[in-house]
Amino acid sequence: MMAEEFEPKIVAFLCKWCSSAGSDLAGVSRMEYPPNVVPIQVMCSGSVSPLYILSAFKKGADGVLVSGCHPGDCHYIKGNFYARRRIALVKELLEFIGLDPERFQMSWVSAAEGVKYTQIIKDFVNVLKPMGPQTKLRRSQ
Amino acid sequence: MVTLEDLKHEATKVLKNGKVKYVIGYQNGTDQYKAMPAFLKDADEAEKLVWNPSCVHNLTKFLVDESRRKKGEREPDERPVGIVVKGCDSRAINVLIQEKFISRDDVHIIGVSCESTGVVDENKLAKKLKGKRVKKVDYGEDGHFVVTTEEGRVNIPAEEVLAERCLECKANYPVVYDVFLGDKEKKKIDDPYKSVQKIEGMSTEERWKFWKEQLGRCIRCYACRSACPMCYCDECVVDTINFVVEPDTKAEEKAQKIKWIEKSPTGSENIVYHLVRAMHLAGRCIDCGECERVCPLDIPIRFLNKKLEKEAQKLFGYEVGFDPDIPSLVSSFKDEDPEDFIR
Repeated sequence: MMAEEFEPKIVAFLCKWCSSAGSDLAGVSRMEYPPNVVPIQVMCSGSVSPLYILSAFKKGADGVLVSGCHPGDCHYIKGNFYARRRIALVKELLEFIGLDPERFQMSWVSAAEGVKYTQIIKDFVNVLKPMGPQTKLRRSQ
Repeated sequence: MVTLEDLKHEATKVLKNGKVKYVIGYQNGTDQYKAMPAFLKDADEAEKLVWNPSCVHNLTKFLVDESRRKKGEREPDERPVGIVVKGCDSRAINVLIQEKFISRDDVHIIGVSCESTGVVDENKLAKKLKGKRVKKVDYGEDGHFVVTTEEGRVNIPAEEVLAERCLECKANYPVVYDVFLGDKEKKKIDDPYKSVQKIEGMSTEERWKFWKEQLGRCIRCYACRSACPMCYCDECVVDTINFVVEPDTKAEEKAQKIKWIEKSPTGSENIVYHLVRAMHLAGRCIDCGECERVCPLDIPIRFLNKKLEKEAQKLFGYEVGFDPDIPSLVSSFKDEDPEDFIR
C-alpha cells in the first residue's frame, strides 16, 4: 500500500468583514484551492485572542492563519491595528519557545481578494506539507 | 547610601502624624538572614524595619490585596498606604496606576535605592559560601556585599551573588516616590537582554527541547501567579474557579463552559498556561523576578516575560513602568508598527 501523503490541517481565523468575504468570493467564483483549511469566522482580527491560537495548536492544528482587513479598512476602524501588534508578540513568543515560525501566519485579505486568499492557502499548505504534523503543542493523550 | 535611621525616621513620621494607614516594609525574617515583609501600624514598630540585599520581595502585591480589601469595606479608610519600594517595585506601582487599578493618592511611596547593586540570590549565595550559615547580608562599599557568617565577615563582589534580574536591571532606583533615600546612581549593565539572547541564539529544535524540559516540570501550583503584582484578575482564564457545579447543574451547562486549558499538569497544558501568562504580562511585566524566585521547581519563567519586554522595546519602542500616563502596550498602536511578517 502506498503511504498516503500528509495533509496538513490549517485553522484560519477570518474576520467577518474582509477575509471571510474574500474566502466566500473564492468559493462563489469556483476558484480551486486545497481543502485543508478550517475557516472560523470572527468579528474582527482584533478579537482574536492569543488563547484561540494556542488552543488551535493544542487541539491539533498544523498551521494557524489569522486574516483581517487591510490597515485602514477595518470595519471597526482600528481593530486590525491592535491585532497587528498583538499577533507580532504572539509570533515572537511562539518562535521563542521553539515552534516552527512558518506554522503561524497572518495576512491581510480584503473582500475582493479571492485570488490572494487561494494563493495564501496554497502556499501555506505547500510550506506545511514537508514539515509533517505539528506535535509540539498538540495535547498529549 | 540608604541609612536605616532615615528609613525608620520616614516611617515613624508618617505613622505618627496619621498620614498613612500602615507602612509595608521589610523586617528580619525567621529563616536565617532573609528578610520578610513587615506591616507597621504604630510608630514604635518602625524599629523593626530593615533594608539589606535580602529584601527581595516585591511588596506591591500587597497594594493589590489592599485595593481589593478596600472595595469590600463599607466605610473604607481613605488614607494611603505607606510602602518601601526598590526600583523594580516602583515600576510596578507605575503600571498599576497606568491601568487605573490604584491611584497615585492610594500610596505613600518610600523609595530606596539598591546602592547600584541589587538584591541577593539565595541559591547563588549558598553556593558561593559552600553552605556556610549566613547570619546577615549588608550593602558594602564599591558594589560589594558584606556577608556575616558563623566564621566572620566576608566581602563578596555583588555581581557574583546578585539575582539574575538585577544583573539586567534598567533602573536600580525608584522612578516614582514621595520620599527618596539613597543615591540615584545608575548601575552599568552591558546588555539588558543578555539572558534572552542566549536562548535566541539556539536553533529552533534546541529551544523547543529547552522549554519542553523546563515547562514540563511545572506542577501548576500557580505560585508565579500568586506572587505577581500584575496578575490581579478576579478570575484567571486558565484556572476557572467561579463555575460552581451544583447538584442541579445541567450537563449542558457544564459542556458549554469553555475549558481553554486542562488542569492536569501535562506538557501541552503547561506550555499554554505559561504562554498565556507571558502574553498577559506583555508590556506590563516590570521584571521583578518574583515568579522565578517563588517557583518551587526553579523554572526560568522570567525569560518568557523578558523576551516580550525586549520585543515591545524593539518593535514598538515601548518601555514598561516609566511613565504612568502613556497608553498600555496592547491597547495602543502606531501607524508605523512593523508588518513585514504579514502577507
